[in-house]
Amino acid sequence: MNTELLNEISLNLQQGKAKLIKELVQQAIDEGIPAETILNDGLMAGMNVIGEKFKNNDVYIPEVLIAARAMNNGAQVLKPYLAASGVKAKGKVCIGTVQGDLHDIGKNLVKMMMEGKGLEVVDLGSDVAPETFIETAINENCQIIACSALLTTTMDVMGKVVELANEAGIRDKVRIMIGGAPVDEAFCRRIGADLYTEDAASAADAAAAFCAEMLG
Amino acid sequence: MNILHYRDADRLPAVHFGYWPELLVEWAEQGHLDMALAKGWRDGNDADREIDRLIGWDFNWGGAASPNNRLFPPFEYKVLEELPDGSRRIQNREGLIEKVKPGVQSIPMEDDYQLKDREAFEKLYKPRLTYTPERIDFDYYRHFNEIRPTDRPVGLFLGSMMGDIRNYCSVIGMSYLIYDEDETLFEDIVNQNADMQFKVAEAVLSTGAAFDFGHFWEDICFKSGPLIDPKLFDKLTAPHYKKITDLCLAHGIDIVSLDCDGVTEQLLRTWIDNGVNTMFPIEVGVWGDQFEPARKKYGERMLGVGGMDKRAFREDKAAVDQEIERMKRLASLGGFIPCPDHRLMPGSKFELVQYYAEKIKDVRL
Repeated sequence: MNTELLNEISLNLQQGKAKLIKELVQQAIDEGIPAETILNDGLMAGMNVIGEKFKNNDVYIPEVLIAARAMNNGAQVLKPYLAASGVKAKGKVCIGTVQGDLHDIGKNLVKMMMEGKGLEVVDLGSDVAPETFIETAINENCQIIACSALLTTTMDVMGKVVELANEAGIRDKVRIMIGGAPVDEAFCRRIGADLYTEDAASAADAAAAFCAEMLG
Repeated sequence: MNILHYRDADRLPAVHFGYWPELLVEWAEQGHLDMALAKGWRDGNDADREIDRLIGWDFNWGGAASPNNRLFPPFEYKVLEELPDGSRRIQNREGLIEKVKPGVQSIPMEDDYQLKDREAFEKLYKPRLTYTPERIDFDYYRHFNEIRPTDRPVGLFLGSMMGDIRNYCSVIGMSYLIYDEDETLFEDIVNQNADMQFKVAEAVLSTGAAFDFGHFWEDICFKSGPLIDPKLFDKLTAPHYKKITDLCLAHGIDIVSLDCDGVTEQLLRTWIDNGVNTMFPIEVGVWGDQFEPARKKYGERMLGVGGMDKRAFREDKAAVDQEIERMKRLASLGGFIPCPDHRLMPGSKFELVQYYAEKIKDVRL
């Protein structure tokens, strides 16, 4: 196994070198390194480092965004090889900014970090009705519903998502995570959601842990 | 302004930072003000002053005089596409492509942007970020001292070093500009924009127009801190802040405030060390920003306007009283003027805002 090449993928991903990542991932495939190993020990290893650095204020949003772009580039090359070798995502999340709110920077950041953890993310976009979160979670067999809001005027829609999830009887199969500027732990408890996280990297860590727990 | 100079003042002023437009419509529907006032409101305009009178505010800190220090000319507002869900893709006045949805009260969603490379900068943005005398109404500023209000402080808007650039290309676009192949492009954009800001301020001040404070806008932070590495922010913007605040000082303006949402702590050093001495609006509520720890760290050279949790206006008198008590304690530190920590939002109760304005003016120093 060419661990040097995997390290090179991880390091260049951390520096956001998107074009180079494509070439390095292709090189790793050509050298016969299994796609899942390239994903775990190259791409995801790099994103994990970036996530930790982001949590510790060692890097900031621009560095996360360029790393995520590099991750996407590498993942595109890997995708057919992963499918061919039967590698499945580590869990599935549907994510969106709640109804009445068009702001999506935070949501996109969380999505990128979750994908960096090997999760499949169904992006519902912004201004998403509560019913759409529930229908998607059921139809797509998601383990997590992730709701984002920027505005104090829209955060209450998250409570409606929780209510509908209760009514649909899916709370034992689906966890509800919330995040965004006006949201905090107390609000999470008040509406009965499962988890609030401070930042995108922590959200991705928690989602990965949830999925691992639920999928065994 | 005595408070910000640590001089004696008989009472606290009732200062605010404007409203979400939807709140004013709400208040008009409830009969508190005319719909024409609600629809005609802008920071510092006649409608703003009339609403000040109805509520009991002394003035709006965000009502600084705004010379033409943004894109000139602005881009044409264009509807690019009508989408099936009723929303529209538009080109806004800053060249950003946005998705807007009529009836949805939110910040528009960025869809695409044009400031992607040096060619776009040179062709579309650099000419619009260049100083020309046409930007300034010299006649207006020559007579400014005769017409300016005398019952309230008047600020000069000094523009933005990086926030405007973020507006032109979104957080994602700005991130790519910082790191993509053309290594000096982002720095060149910052320099071009800052040079124009300086020249506009210089031209206005050269007319003899007198201002009580200068005021920047950035909005370059969010819930977890800055949107950009503080070291890079410092490297690119510090010399420009210094140059502009030195210009202000040379014209007798020693109070320079800066409007930045979010948690600002990691950028304060750049501002304080370069003459930007007054933080505003100190978003203690939604974002958890704080004045007191920063005061402890930077001492009396750090001033503040803001810090009152505006969410109390959606609750009751007890919640407002609690905020007033907290404001009294902060005001006792000196160099601090309480002000709601951002635009008052829909659901704020008119009578509670009136109550706050009345009570805060009762606070003796």
